[in-house]
Amino acid sequence: MNWLTSYLNLASAYIKINFKSLLAYRGAFISQMVAMFINDFVWIAFWCLFFTRFPVVKGWGVNDVITLWAIAASGFGLAHMIMGNALALPGIIMRGELDSWLLYPRAVLPHLLLGKSSASSWGDFLFGIVVYAIFVKPDLAHFSLFMALICSVAVLFVGFSVFTGSLAFFMGSAESVSTQLRIAMITFSTYPSPIFQGFVKVLLFTLLPAMFVSHLPVSALRNMSMIDALYSVGGALGVLAAGIIMFYVGLRRYESGNLMEMRG
Amino acid sequence: MENAVSAVQLAKNFVLKKRDGLRWTESEVKAVDGITLSIERGQSVAFIGPNGAGKSTTIKMLTGILHPSSGQATVLGCVPWKERTRLAKRIGVVFGQRSQLWYHLPPRDTFELLSKIYEIKKDVFLSQRDMLIERFQLAEFLDTPVRKLSLGQRMRAEVACSLLHSPEVIFLDEPTIGLDVIARQELRDLIREWNREKGVTVFLTSHDAGDIQHVAKRVVVINHGRVVLDDRVSRVRRQYLSEKVLSVKYADMPESIALEGVKTLKESGHAFRFEVDTLAIPIEKVMTEIMRIGSVVDITIEDPPLEEVIAHIYSAPPTATEEDEDEETGAEDE
Repeated sequence: MNWLTSYLNLASAYIKINFKSLLAYRGAFISQMVAMFINDFVWIAFWCLFFTRFPVVKGWGVNDVITLWAIAASGFGLAHMIMGNALALPGIIMRGELDSWLLYPRAVLPHLLLGKSSASSWGDFLFGIVVYAIFVKPDLAHFSLFMALICSVAVLFVGFSVFTGSLAFFMGSAESVSTQLRIAMITFSTYPSPIFQGFVKVLLFTLLPAMFVSHLPVSALRNMSMIDALYSVGGALGVLAAGIIMFYVGLRRYESGNLMEMRG
Repeated sequence: MENAVSAVQLAKNFVLKKRDGLRWTESEVKAVDGITLSIERGQSVAFIGPNGAGKSTTIKMLTGILHPSSGQATVLGCVPWKERTRLAKRIGVVFGQRSQLWYHLPPRDTFELLSKIYEIKKDVFLSQRDMLIERFQLAEFLDTPVRKLSLGQRMRAEVACSLLHSPEVIFLDEPTIGLDVIARQELRDLIREWNREKGVTVFLTSHDAGDIQHVAKRVVVINHGRVVLDDRVSRVRRQYLSEKVLSVKYADMPESIALEGVKTLKESGHAFRFEVDTLAIPIEKVMTEIMRIGSVVDITIEDPPLEEVIAHIYSAPPTATEEDEDEETGAEDE
């Protein structure tokens, strides 16, 4: 367990320094956070209007969609406010910036991921929690499960970002592909899952694992189903494992660069 | 004594892809072509070469960033690319073009973070940090955001950061790049001090002859990925080029000097500057002639500037036998 304590210590040191670094430009940080909060809220307003016209879509009501958005936004936010470099991974690989991370006495991937915090992700994270608490009004059990599922979804998003970002080891310039895949993942994660059937549903359980963000966690919360919650966690760990394997296989092909670099 | 760094036939090839019409063709580029090198603990070595010679690639292999294509290397007994994390605790690295300082935060915060990364005990960290603050004179800007520091201050903090975990070997890749004369001199003095007083092995790459002259006692020159020279800095300067520069001041106008191998570089009043080719004429014969032609008030004999020596070495074409010879001329420390 020593490695876990050591890693948690490191993570807490990075969260602290990343937060300090964001606060160095307080106005910019707060405005990014607020902008993301408003952006997410516009979508909730849209879904609320939609459900006043069509109260039920294949068994899903407005509370299910709000839950879905709350989990997806908070999970995505938690992932990238702590491990913000997951979003920057393809650029880091492509520009040869992994060099700096390889010089530290730490496992390179978990260390690298902690190196940055995405300012707008703080807005996503807060949005999900506030919206779930205000609109769904959960009891303690639901809220606890909700928080646990946020962590599961965060693990999944990190794993997916690492997987797509690691394509840069094989393709060179993979920033655009990685961004497109991430956008697709977010898009499919934020629509009611019953509308996807057949081949698309299979796709969303495998290559674009959006069902582990939308279908399973919402079902787990609606029915307080521990089985669905465990499937969600299992899927998230599977995606993370795939991302880690992809990264370390790719790392063997890594060729470093000579660019100027600054941190923070 | 165990070597701090040792490399045998270390090589790295990169694959270069080129588009030929609709097809892609691959070719191999040799960045490092069989470097053999050993550095004892406590030595200060300048590892120099022109751009593209393979310096940075060699450093990256020795620090575990890159896997070599062939050959072997150990740093402090560790194979860098296999025992990267174990080795990282025992070495420090400064890349002049890369910073480990947090741009928007003061150096103090980076020190704190590094203590967690290297898992340094609190009391050890505090005493080491305070000692570095004092020796590197960081106190005045320790709480100033890095973005507001001068380049000289930033590089001092940068080097101090890389010494926080008390490394046994420090790799410095162009640490003085972009610094002004004073900041450069300060940094050189600090690195030299750390090498001499703490016994830290210094492995320095630089394009600045002053860095090499002031910090290193041994110089390894690489070109085209191969070692082309490995000797003591003082000996390289004295022996590699045969010219000496003599500055002579006479009391009165002397007779003119006419010796083969002696060239007048500059003449100003009664002062002369001669370049002497010691292969063509012994220096003592020139001295005798200088004393004979007039009454000498002052005289100095200088080695040629190191820049000239380096430029001369770089311009030499690669030969197949140079590396074998270099192995035999392993430098001894003063």
